[in-house]
Amino acid sequence: MFKYLIRRLLFSLPVLLAITIIVFALVELAPGDVVDYFRSPETQMTEESAAQLRARFGLDQPVPVRYLNWLGSVLQGDLGYRFVDGRPVAQVIGQRLGATTLLVGSALVIGIVIGVPLGVFTSLRQYSSWDFFLTGVSFLGISMPAFIAGIFGLYVFAIKLNLFPTGGMRPVDHAPSLFESLHYLALPAFILGLQHIAQYMRYTRFSMLEVIRSDYVTTARAKGLTEQAITWRHVVRNAILPVVTVIGFSIPGLVVGAVFTETIFSWPGMGTLYLDAVRGRDVPLLMGMNLVIAAAVLLVNIATDLAYAVVDPRIRYD
Amino acid sequence: MKKYIAPLILVLLVVSLSFSALEAQDAGGGGTLVGAFDVGPGGAPLIRPFMDTAGRTWLSKIWTPLVSWNADATGIEPQLATSWEANEDASSWTFHLREGVLWHDGEAMTADDVKFSLELAFHPEAATQYSSFSQLSAAQFVGGEAYAAGEADAIEGIVVVDDLTVQMDFVNPNPRLPFSLIFAWVLPQHALADLAPADYQTTDWFYTSPIGTGPFMQDEFVQDQFWALVPNPNYWNGAPKLDRLINRYFADETAALLALEGGEIQFTYASADVALRMQDDPNVVLYSGPSGVTNYFIFNQRIPAFQDVRVRQAFLYAIDRQAIAEAIMGGTVELVPCIAALPGMHPAADQLNDYAYDPDKARELLAEAGWDASQEFELVTYYNNQQSLDTMAAAQQYLAEVGINVTPLAVDVPTYNSYFYTGEGWDISYRGVGATLVYPWQFYIEGGFEVTSGETLMGPAFPELEEMMVAAQAETDPDRFIEQLQGICQYQNEQALEGYMWTATRFGVAANTLQDFYWFPAQGGGPYADHAELWSVGS
Repeated sequence: MFKYLIRRLLFSLPVLLAITIIVFALVELAPGDVVDYFRSPETQMTEESAAQLRARFGLDQPVPVRYLNWLGSVLQGDLGYRFVDGRPVAQVIGQRLGATTLLVGSALVIGIVIGVPLGVFTSLRQYSSWDFFLTGVSFLGISMPAFIAGIFGLYVFAIKLNLFPTGGMRPVDHAPSLFESLHYLALPAFILGLQHIAQYMRYTRFSMLEVIRSDYVTTARAKGLTEQAITWRHVVRNAILPVVTVIGFSIPGLVVGAVFTETIFSWPGMGTLYLDAVRGRDVPLLMGMNLVIAAAVLLVNIATDLAYAVVDPRIRYD
Repeated sequence: MKKYIAPLILVLLVVSLSFSALEAQDAGGGGTLVGAFDVGPGGAPLIRPFMDTAGRTWLSKIWTPLVSWNADATGIEPQLATSWEANEDASSWTFHLREGVLWHDGEAMTADDVKFSLELAFHPEAATQYSSFSQLSAAQFVGGEAYAAGEADAIEGIVVVDDLTVQMDFVNPNPRLPFSLIFAWVLPQHALADLAPADYQTTDWFYTSPIGTGPFMQDEFVQDQFWALVPNPNYWNGAPKLDRLINRYFADETAALLALEGGEIQFTYASADVALRMQDDPNVVLYSGPSGVTNYFIFNQRIPAFQDVRVRQAFLYAIDRQAIAEAIMGGTVELVPCIAALPGMHPAADQLNDYAYDPDKARELLAEAGWDASQEFELVTYYNNQQSLDTMAAAQQYLAEVGINVTPLAVDVPTYNSYFYTGEGWDISYRGVGATLVYPWQFYIEGGFEVTSGETLMGPAFPELEEMMVAAQAETDPDRFIEQLQGICQYQNEQALEGYMWTATRFGVAANTLQDFYWFPAQGGGPYADHAELWSVGS
């Protein structure tokens, strides 16, 4: 297992490198740069001062040189400084990463804890009223974009019912208690997790129905095992494997969904920061964030593969 | 005796409560005001002094300039400077500072702080944007060129006469200097003396431990979430009434408006369509004012067709500006005859062409100009809000009816500027430029007429207009200055140098519980006289 882990990590490095090259190239292909972002009808910037500013940011150098400079700094553990406000990129990402991890992690847990059991529940009651109802609701959940769900949830639960705060991560007039922090987290995490509840429920239901029809389940039933034992010992354990894959693959989607949720709920995470970085052509921040996100996705993929071994003893990585 | 005990207790209770109330008033007592002060075009979260193209409403709660706009940005008011005078040719100015002003840490503010602040703003290594929006550069001061080149440690032309007097000497006359000093925040030398100018852009002092002379001082700053201030008991205009003033950060206007509706904040900016929907809500108070921004179509006159005045005039006749103003902008805009947004800069109506909607006249002018109706033009903008997109679509429709074919394209700011400032990638552009009557030069600089790097933003130079601008800029008599601005407006109107559309009204929405609160949509957020020391929150 350890050797496998090391091998996967080593294989991930060229992938990570390729991602940074592609992202850097894409950022360069986009029209405009940070100096263009700074120009506004309220500022008088001559071509000379624009050129000085570009030189100050190193934007007067060829693209490959700039990429290699960036890569060299990263290899020394330095993600550089934001163009827009001069703050260290690592510090800025560090401040936001915790908030996004909390939000995405909570949404993931909500998705799994509610979605998977509901999938099991509906699969055991195929074509029942519950099955039709929950399947219908799940279609609604899957097809509702995160920003629509966010605004709807905010309007109903925060404005009309006044059950949750409208946004932010904590109260502004005192230090938050754990309960208050959870109160602020609950609505955005649930909204972000909503689509995934539906998704996990659908996949679990499908996977369960596949397994239920297997010969070994019929055999287990013929041996006289109770339905409960068949379901939990034989069906769920085998059906969960593809669901783990889906959960692993859905994490990048959760991060994307977080962009909208964070914007709507003023959640100070990576999503809104990413939008700011794109709008400001803040190359060091964009590269830093993409590096962190790409590394996180690669690690999650490895973790997902490792999770197979946990849920299915037949899988060994030696 | 017993019958006196109860009244005695009552009297003691009332007296003690009165003392408690008095104590509370000393410490504020006006409640906590939470606002989204950096939402909207006048806001800019986490901006630092001298980099503040916007966000000055919040900055002015902590720091104070020598002078500021008055309440409706039609003139200037004394702040840290109480009076000022110039010599005969306005090449030397003397500013008299307010007596007894203390920094938040109790140190006295002096003329040395003013000199220190200006020299920091102009320091080549600090790389501030102060010059770009104040139109004041180090080189304008006596000895300033050497300072800007790094050959001198100080600007010779900024002279500390005594603790409360600063003299500024210029190479050339500077008749409207006080307007440039509106953005000159005074920073504490004793707190920042050790700050290397090269670290100006990266220091977090401005957020974590700022010291100013403003009405409020630092309480708590939580990155990307909120910034809380408490009253400055030594504020020179009286201790503020609020207990706490908090600026909450929102990713967009919608999130802030929902927080206002949910009662979590008491103030935010609102775009015109939202503000109009809220105008009948008894729980809110609308604040509004002219944006000082002219929205207009600018022609890339590197394209020969747009060099013909008849084509440009036809463009204006072809679009029913009044209909768009009412149907799309909800009547919240005023049509303008030239680039200047403010009526004071417009000559009398009988001296102007109103370019009332007349598609026949437009077709006639185009025919005279030999217009080729098969041409296609790209109409680029950086405005991405729905009203602007609808405006572009309506203009496209109107123009198509007379044979001018345009394709609207909305892009983000860096993309737009990469096209616009190089003169390539755009044919016509819908944009905005803002200025105020007392400092109108921005209209001409960013309006596209000033020659920089060999050409104007539109391409060709306009020598006649340039001559009028130079004459106005040198004018020292205020009345003649206005007359000259009106002459420029008339010329632009006649020549239809650009497709002048309108100036918009901007709105702020506040909870009706706020008392003595004031907000004005001054460009970049001011600073203007909002007397935040008087604000309080009622029940």
